[in-house]
Amino acid sequence: MAKKRQKAKLELTRRDFLVMAGTAVGSAVFAQAVTTGPLSPFATLRQRQVAGREGDLGLATTGKRWGMVISLDRCIGCEYCLRACCATNDVNPDKPWNIVAEEKSSAGQTFFFSRPCLHCQEAPCVEVCPVRATYVRDDGLVVMDYDRCIGCRYCEVACPYDARKFNWEERTDENPYVPTWGTPEVDRRPRGVVEKCTFCIHRIDAGLAKGLTPGVDFEATPACVSICPVGARTFGDLHDPESPVAQLVANTPTLRLREELGTEPSVYYIPPKEGL
Amino acid sequence: MTATALPRKVAGFTPGMIGWLAFLALCLAIGVASAFQVLTRGLIVTHMSNTVPWGLWITVDLSAIALGAGAFTLSAVVYLFGLKRFQAIVRLAVFVGFIGYTAALLALVMDIGRPDRFWHPWAFWNVHSVLWEITWCITIYLLIMVFEFLPVVAELKAFDRWPRFRSLAHSLHKVAPYLALLGLGISLLHQSSLGATYGVVKARAIWFKPSMPIMFILSAVAVGPAVTMAIAYVIEWVTSRPTIPHDILRTIARFSGFGLLIYLYIKLWDLAATTYYGRTPSVQEALARLGDTTPYGFGVWVAEILLGILLPVLFFLLPRFSRRPGLLVLGAFCAMIGVVFNRWDVTVSGLVIPLNYSPGTIYQSAAGVYWPSTAEWGVAIGVVGYALTLLTLGIWLLPLFNHRPQGQ
Repeated sequence: MAKKRQKAKLELTRRDFLVMAGTAVGSAVFAQAVTTGPLSPFATLRQRQVAGREGDLGLATTGKRWGMVISLDRCIGCEYCLRACCATNDVNPDKPWNIVAEEKSSAGQTFFFSRPCLHCQEAPCVEVCPVRATYVRDDGLVVMDYDRCIGCRYCEVACPYDARKFNWEERTDENPYVPTWGTPEVDRRPRGVVEKCTFCIHRIDAGLAKGLTPGVDFEATPACVSICPVGARTFGDLHDPESPVAQLVANTPTLRLREELGTEPSVYYIPPKEGL
Repeated sequence: MTATALPRKVAGFTPGMIGWLAFLALCLAIGVASAFQVLTRGLIVTHMSNTVPWGLWITVDLSAIALGAGAFTLSAVVYLFGLKRFQAIVRLAVFVGFIGYTAALLALVMDIGRPDRFWHPWAFWNVHSVLWEITWCITIYLLIMVFEFLPVVAELKAFDRWPRFRSLAHSLHKVAPYLALLGLGISLLHQSSLGATYGVVKARAIWFKPSMPIMFILSAVAVGPAVTMAIAYVIEWVTSRPTIPHDILRTIARFSGFGLLIYLYIKLWDLAATTYYGRTPSVQEALARLGDTTPYGFGVWVAEILLGILLPVLFFLLPRFSRRPGLLVLGAFCAMIGVVFNRWDVTVSGLVIPLNYSPGTIYQSAAGVYWPSTAEWGVAIGVVGYALTLLTLGIWLLPLFNHRPQGQ
């Protein structure tokens, strides 16, 4: 009967209006609840869960947590780290993984700022990847699976530190830093995937297999750390209280970049003596 | 077999029709040529960069999905809320939705660096990723629309030979309410998640706010049905055959008008929120930079409100305008442009602002500049051409309008 009345009167009835308004309000409430509200899967997001699953997949639990300390006080801006990185990982020098920039403190003092991938433990890039092509490894390294990446570039958009670079074309360029600054130890990444600094993961894994200590033995240490002429970079296991990095973090005032975002980077900076 | 179904309609090969088909063919040819260029040379042929990694195609993608929202909204109105008189438009709405979603997938496949790995989100899950959820929802919803639309396709003369297929397809009518319910849930999820795609990115102060998903879903629910309404009118004008009773179309316009008012309210609330209690130093800095150094300042916001929301609201809700179909269609067109413009603005404005992560005072990542390349425009034209071609074929071949009520 209600139907008949609706058919007779073709303007928007009160019932229609209430139903539609109810739909609209209900939709808004539901959408809010599932996207940012209490039902949201993002609200309690923890990359560690993702990383933990990697452990379940059979990767050995090492108990290590690789980290780096960069002294802004010691850095002289020579860009050796950039060059060694480009050579070792065969990175396009136009889109370096490791950047070096001249900076000024608030007092006008010049210092040099450099930035590898910070290997965040709560990495935004890991959170957003739709295919888990990037994940936090058990030892704290944020790694890329180039065979799985679909090239959507969401990680590049989400990284707060601009540390990710996309391969827009098949690379045919000649690397100007080879062989002066090192020889490529890994393959070039294919067209259409995102790449980033790996903390020279190949050196760490191979070094550990040989019984070397990353951060102490050059062969097992990231290229940027090994080549630094002034010892501005220190690498090692943050979980080992005896390691040089853990010592520095424990005994020196350090800061991490954009700490307010809660990304928990593995790279610590020692500010210049004159202050920032 | 199909030939017997056509003659009456083929008689409509007017010069205008031939011109239209030539236009569609041109669009498709441009699209295919550009797509070929992209697939062979890679995304280097676009003007996207590591500073602005998303651009026109993401805009096309988001807009097509938002404008296809009429499908789930009107299906829900008919099958879940029992407003049966709107049944006449459900077929068209689902068809438009199907076109929108497939167009979005086309744009998306062109946009990713490895189109050969488009299936990875189904094989490798990251349940924490908004993009993963969107991919799943879009696929599932596309399937729902195929099922909803199968009975219409089964009515084609070509299926006279397969009565079993036809009866099977028609039995899908019985599950229509369940499909509508599932469609509603899935659509609310992914339509809002498209906003969350930006909203969860804490790296970028302009995007990082909880109102993003709300604004995306409200605009989709408001504008999607209006687009369906406008398409019905335009089809009527072009084919000179009645499509859908005008009172239904007017009611849909009223619904869209109210929807746009709610959207406007949330937009104003969002403005107040970002200006006052969400104004952290980084938000303030980013907004100031947006106004000073990019074309995406406050004027863009005002233009979007005026042309994309207020004008359509006036046309849809004031009786003196809403009685004139021409103005309803114009209003829907403005609202549609408003949505496309909004998606573009959200995407590009968030990306052109440099990231500032250095502990010093001068260094920040390079400021972004973005305007699409010829290849990007070409692919976009191709995607629009695909959508229009499908629409034309549908009007031509499918029984979109002579729908009898269930059980008759």
